[in-house]
Amino acid sequence: MSIVQNSAQKSKWYLPGVIGGLGITMKHLLKNLISKKSMQTINYPEEKYEYGPRFKGNHILTVKKDGSLRCTACMLCATNCPAECIKITASENPDPKVEKFPISYEIDILRCVFCGFCEEACPVDAIRLGPEWQTPGLSGSNFTYDINHLAYRPALKGGIQSHVDDEERHKEGI
Amino acid sequence: MPKCTINGKEVEVKDGQTIMEAFKKADEPIAHYCYHPGLSVAGVCRLCICDIEGNPRPQIACNTTVTEGMKVSTKSDKVKEGVKWVLDFHLINHPLDCPICDQAGECGLQEQYMAFGKYEPEMAEKKVKKHKVVDLGPTVVLDSERCILCSRCVRFTEEVSKTNELGIFNRGDRSEIGCVEGKSLDNKYSLNTVDICPVGALTSKDFRFKQRVWYLKDSDTVCNGCSTGCNVKVYFNKEGMFRVKPVHNEQVNGYWMCDEGRNIYQFANKENRFEKGIKKLGGASLETMLPGALAKELHQLVKSGKDQTAVVLTGQYTSEEYDSFIGTLSKEFGIKKVYHWNQNEKQMGDFDGLLIRGDKNPNTKGLLKVFEKHQIKTEWQDLEKSLESKSIKNLIVAGPENLSVFADMDSKLALFSKAENLIWLGAAKVEALTSDSGKVKNKNIFVIPLKSFVEKEGTFVNHSGLEQKFKKATTILHETLTLTEVAILFAGKNLTLPSAVEKPAFVESQRRSDQVQLEHRKKNEFVFKRGTL
Ligand code: SF4
Ligand code: SF4
Ligand code: SF4
Ligand code: SF4
Ligand code: FES
Repeated sequence: MSIVQNSAQKSKWYLPGVIGGLGITMKHLLKNLISKKSMQTINYPEEKYEYGPRFKGNHILTVKKDGSLRCTACMLCATNCPAECIKITASENPDPKVEKFPISYEIDILRCVFCGFCEEACPVDAIRLGPEWQTPGLSGSNFTYDINHLAYRPALKGGIQSHVDDEERHKEGI
Repeated sequence: MPKCTINGKEVEVKDGQTIMEAFKKADEPIAHYCYHPGLSVAGVCRLCICDIEGNPRPQIACNTTVTEGMKVSTKSDKVKEGVKWVLDFHLINHPLDCPICDQAGECGLQEQYMAFGKYEPEMAEKKVKKHKVVDLGPTVVLDSERCILCSRCVRFTEEVSKTNELGIFNRGDRSEIGCVEGKSLDNKYSLNTVDICPVGALTSKDFRFKQRVWYLKDSDTVCNGCSTGCNVKVYFNKEGMFRVKPVHNEQVNGYWMCDEGRNIYQFANKENRFEKGIKKLGGASLETMLPGALAKELHQLVKSGKDQTAVVLTGQYTSEEYDSFIGTLSKEFGIKKVYHWNQNEKQMGDFDGLLIRGDKNPNTKGLLKVFEKHQIKTEWQDLEKSLESKSIKNLIVAGPENLSVFADMDSKLALFSKAENLIWLGAAKVEALTSDSGKVKNKNIFVIPLKSFVEKEGTFVNHSGLEQKFKKATTILHETLTLTEVAILFAGKNLTLPSAVEKPAFVESQRRSDQVQLEHRKKNEFVFKRGTL
């Protein structure tokens, strides 16, 4: 008794299907030759696709005016992260106005699912998902991003500032 | 014994008890900050308002005595509205630092706000700025902005520790907690103020920023810091243990514990423990192995030299362990030379009037009881003499867990050095045993790591003879053994692991009818019994 049904009877009807498929291919080929602009594909990696501004790529830790991290090490992002890939070690900042700050902030980017929940949880706009998405590494490279990478990698040109201004907030008395 | 009705529930309270206590007895929720069962009544937060039938205006529950037939309720709109506004007044100058506040997650303000909050603040004025990160003393940090001036901490230093360091200074919305001129919050019970502070105004320097509280699990146990045996909760997660807090037990510690006892979490953590069994034979270098394997191996040694073997026990283990350890060794090998290492013989009877006792072992009483049961009457001098005369070859020492209370460690190690083989059982990492410092001169040294008090269950008998059973809280080091297990392995027997299921879960009757039969599986044949597909 066999499990797979023998469909030899039906098999001679494959030709119309193949020809139909070829027809579609030819149609697109001709269309692309006539108007290149409406082409669906791009020549990656020479050409790059521009994603929308809300695209969620690699994380950025924002900085204050003086270049120090905005993050207060509240661990709300780590709590909210469904992949549990954020690891923060908090410590006491010598400046009593800051009080708490992270001495290490690590994201295991291979576990991250780019859901953006960390960004949403953060009360001080200290973490954002940026536009970068091509971040390959050679074998053996480090995919646990630390503060140095997250806040000060060369592409960020010295750090991204948040538009929420602390000084103004303090003046308001909040 | 007046009877009253709390939210429709009838309860009977003792004469002179307050409505607040009646609420607790009826198990009905009521908002409150300044009331604490272990302190006097202050009645300053005004959050505990309730309706008393026949009374036109709400009253505070914590400072109103119950009278016969009183009908009290917190269900009316008037009370709910009132609590909401009182809470909003508390929050007028509150900074809402929750993200960086250590109390977040177990904060009275957060909890009450979830239940009674107004959610639309109407305050248009700027907040009053106060001092932040104020160093009150060696253990506590104050954040004045978060303080709601409930005065619990002030009452604690006044009534319980009786040290009077704290006070409320200035007036109105500028009031702040602070230390009296020339003093700092430095007493042996100072960290209790952190526990009773309903908000994050007082935080412990030791625990500050180590963990968010929602990452911690807790479990009840008994403190092994001294012979009082305070009931405590230990907080831990997979990274280790982080803090200890007292649990109420009227018979033992009331609501409090001492600051020293809060450090007991430290010696249970990995970095202060022996993790592997260690063997150091003659001049050879260290060899590490599984604790269980090492104990099993030592069976021969103990057996062959059983007449020349002595045991030294400290008061740091559970009664059950003592019983089985002494019992097994005397039954199997007839070892009766069991000695009690009492490191604080002189301070045994000391007591500071509140909790701290001079006997820094949790279970001295328990050990003496077990000695009595097995009729062991030995004197420490005998051990010294027989070590001197080399009549003892093997010395088994169940050493301390809490090293900090063993001031005589070095002198005792020098004494133990006189035996040929030292078998050291213990949780705490004693550097001298494994280093080449020359403090320990035994020919052969064996170290078997034991479980700490949070990793096992058992009984501690406290100074008054009260037996306190505690359960296992967590496991920090998996391979370590208890004294009981060591005794079994010394006796040459095997540890039998309790199996979780009596019968294997996959039994014949649970087999699917179309399951591939074993014979066919062996022949790698797939025969489906469903007939047609
Ligand atoms: S994007 Fe999502 S998965 Fe990645 S770190 Fe943030 S919360 Fe975690
Ligand atoms: S939520 Fe924001 S402030 Fe808090 S730890 Fe994460 S990045 Fe830092
Ligand atoms: S005391 Fe409570 S409400 Fe205030 S900042 Fe701390 S956690 Fe938040
Ligand atoms: S510091 Fe805490 S316990 Fe003391 S008055 Fe303020 S809120 Fe109450
Ligand atoms: S608890 Fe009654 S006034 Fe504070």
